[in-house]
Amino acid sequence: MARVLLACVLAAACACAREKPQGIVVTFPGSSVGAEADVLRAQLARFMRQHPEIRVVQQRTPDSGDQRHQLYVQWLNARARDPDILQLDVVWTPEFAAAGWLLPLERFAPPVHEFFPATIAANRYRGRLYALPWFVDVGMLYYRSDVVGAPPRSHAELVQHAQRARRAGFDYGLVWQGARYEGLVTVFLEYLTAFGGEVLDATGRAALDTPAARAALQAMRSAIDSGLVPRAALSWQEEQTRFAFQNGRAPFMRNWPYAYPLLQQPDSRVRGRFAVSAMPAGSGGRPAAALGGSQLAINGRSDQPQAAYRVIAFLTAPAQMLERARIAGQFPPRHALYARPELARALPIDPVQVQAIIASAVARPVTPVYAELSDILQVHLHRCLSGQESASQALRAADREIDALLSRVSLLPRRDHEGARGG
Amino acid sequence: MADAEHQRARLRDPAEHGESRLALLLCGPALLLISAVALFPLLYTFWESLHLHDLRMPWRGRPLIGLGNYTEALADARFWGALGHTAFFAAVSVSLELVLGLALALLLQRSFAGRGFARAVALLPWAMPAVVVAILWRFLFEPGGAADALLLQTGLLARAPAWLSDAQLSWVPIVLADVWKTTPFVALLLLAGLQAIDPALYEAARIDGAGPLERLLHVTLPGLQPALVVALLFRSVDALRVFDLIYVLTAGGPGTATEPLAMYSFVALLRNLRFGYGSALAVIVFVPTLLLALVYIRLAGSSLRQEQR
Repeated sequence: MARVLLACVLAAACACAREKPQGIVVTFPGSSVGAEADVLRAQLARFMRQHPEIRVVQQRTPDSGDQRHQLYVQWLNARARDPDILQLDVVWTPEFAAAGWLLPLERFAPPVHEFFPATIAANRYRGRLYALPWFVDVGMLYYRSDVVGAPPRSHAELVQHAQRARRAGFDYGLVWQGARYEGLVTVFLEYLTAFGGEVLDATGRAALDTPAARAALQAMRSAIDSGLVPRAALSWQEEQTRFAFQNGRAPFMRNWPYAYPLLQQPDSRVRGRFAVSAMPAGSGGRPAAALGGSQLAINGRSDQPQAAYRVIAFLTAPAQMLERARIAGQFPPRHALYARPELARALPIDPVQVQAIIASAVARPVTPVYAELSDILQVHLHRCLSGQESASQALRAADREIDALLSRVSLLPRRDHEGARGG
Repeated sequence: MADAEHQRARLRDPAEHGESRLALLLCGPALLLISAVALFPLLYTFWESLHLHDLRMPWRGRPLIGLGNYTEALADARFWGALGHTAFFAAVSVSLELVLGLALALLLQRSFAGRGFARAVALLPWAMPAVVVAILWRFLFEPGGAADALLLQTGLLARAPAWLSDAQLSWVPIVLADVWKTTPFVALLLLAGLQAIDPALYEAARIDGAGPLERLLHVTLPGLQPALVVALLFRSVDALRVFDLIYVLTAGGPGTATEPLAMYSFVALLRNLRFGYGSALAVIVFVPTLLLALVYIRLAGSSLRQEQR
């Protein structure tokens, strides 16, 4: 047995010795399906041709965000040096940064001013930058341009149009993701912003027990109770809402950009008969689009941070972003690109519209305990929409539980020291 | 003194001593394996449940906090809700399964043409994976699904309710799916019990003038008691751990209206990565299950002894 092992080790050693010094190896686990994977593979190959001294090794990870998150946490918690580069969902950055798992990026002087400010803000934690935006996802209001000429300018107008459309024969007035999952929180965030509320206030305390938040949640609840949004939507995620819209059953839909090319396919009943805008403002608020998307960050224990940053800089450079927009349809986070004719050719949606929606982008609360905060919100939002709690009961409970969560992990600022967070 | 006695005992019966040593030796590997795969994770979970351990917050360390996680659970409304849902689900589904399982067993015991085939078909739902069963029932109870169509067409309901989005109604598909899936299992256990009842007892009862109902109450049910107890315990142990069915059907919703303990523990452990608190919840799921299993083992043992006598 020992002899076999020894032989193996020797063979491996010889193999290594025979090859040229390998230089720098950077590992990068990321999404590995569809057009996204194709474009990434092509871009990394190009990077390695330009930088022969660096080898980028792709690792396959689960496609589901939850599973990838769990995998990352296990690796980083075990203080693994690999992977060097991490693909983060926008709400993971503060969590990983607070855990000390990410390398702050200021030392590389990234061109932060070239990105949309909202996308950079979502990647900052306690003043430091931990990741660069790779592509942007935003919540959008899809509307039937053959039913309503222009996008509704206010929430009241949206409800009016939707009611009129129902009377004219549509099954539903509006569809959104009402299942108890992260999607529901992004829908609520758009309503909340549209009505002038926020989840956490400037000092970092829960701010849900407010008139604005009550107005927002009450608007969602009334939509369900009046049948404007079907009660069945309480178990709907993105695809079910897309089916309803695509089959011509609803004149309005809240969804992500991925639906756009699918709705434009030849067999779609709404092809060429719809357009997009941000969720319109209610009273006291502003138009809102929940911010999502992917970021690239460096493992704090990586032994190749310089090389890792060069890969990230390459992938987030304008040329690669334009290519990604063309092949995978994903929005670039660099604002200058929206004036370029290449982007207009690459995207299915008019870049001017996209830029307007991204300008309304609102980030989810930046906190290391976002997942648990979201869990609390999901439960109470869903209880309210299914009639188990009133809007004010749900919000008061969520407010209290979020503050309890923040205080449990010592992140709740004391009232007498407002603004001064403990470090 | 004790040693000397021991020596004498050894001299008196060397064969028995050697045999018990051999028995220990032969059982050893199995015992080791059980400790490694069952006992160790169990004890480790318990140990973990005494710690504050949030995988996402390494800066908090992993301090020993004694029963802190348990006291947190006791003050947690969601925990009590989950406990209530688990008890409710177990009580309703297990009693329905016992009643229907008994009826099915009595039916399958009668001799009729194609009995073998009928028995095989009746067992089919039990052979299906729980997740498949759950997807099937969700499909039936989705808006515009078969359940709505049936109830509307027969005029039983004027308007289709949103089954899966209603805090009370969502229990209907959950309980139905569980009853549909596990009634055959109960029936199988009871069928075996029925066949163990001496036919002579029925004959004697009939001669004494007992009608079918009296025979059921005074011969079948007493004779079936051991099998009934086994079925009851098996099913309640299973029902207390319910997860997959509800996970697929309602994911515990709406809100947390159908969330059982096992799912809350899953959320705490694997979604929120709170290993300490999640482990405490897992231990809380485990303890009643263990107690029931111990009762079951005792009862099974005593009925075995009775049979030997």
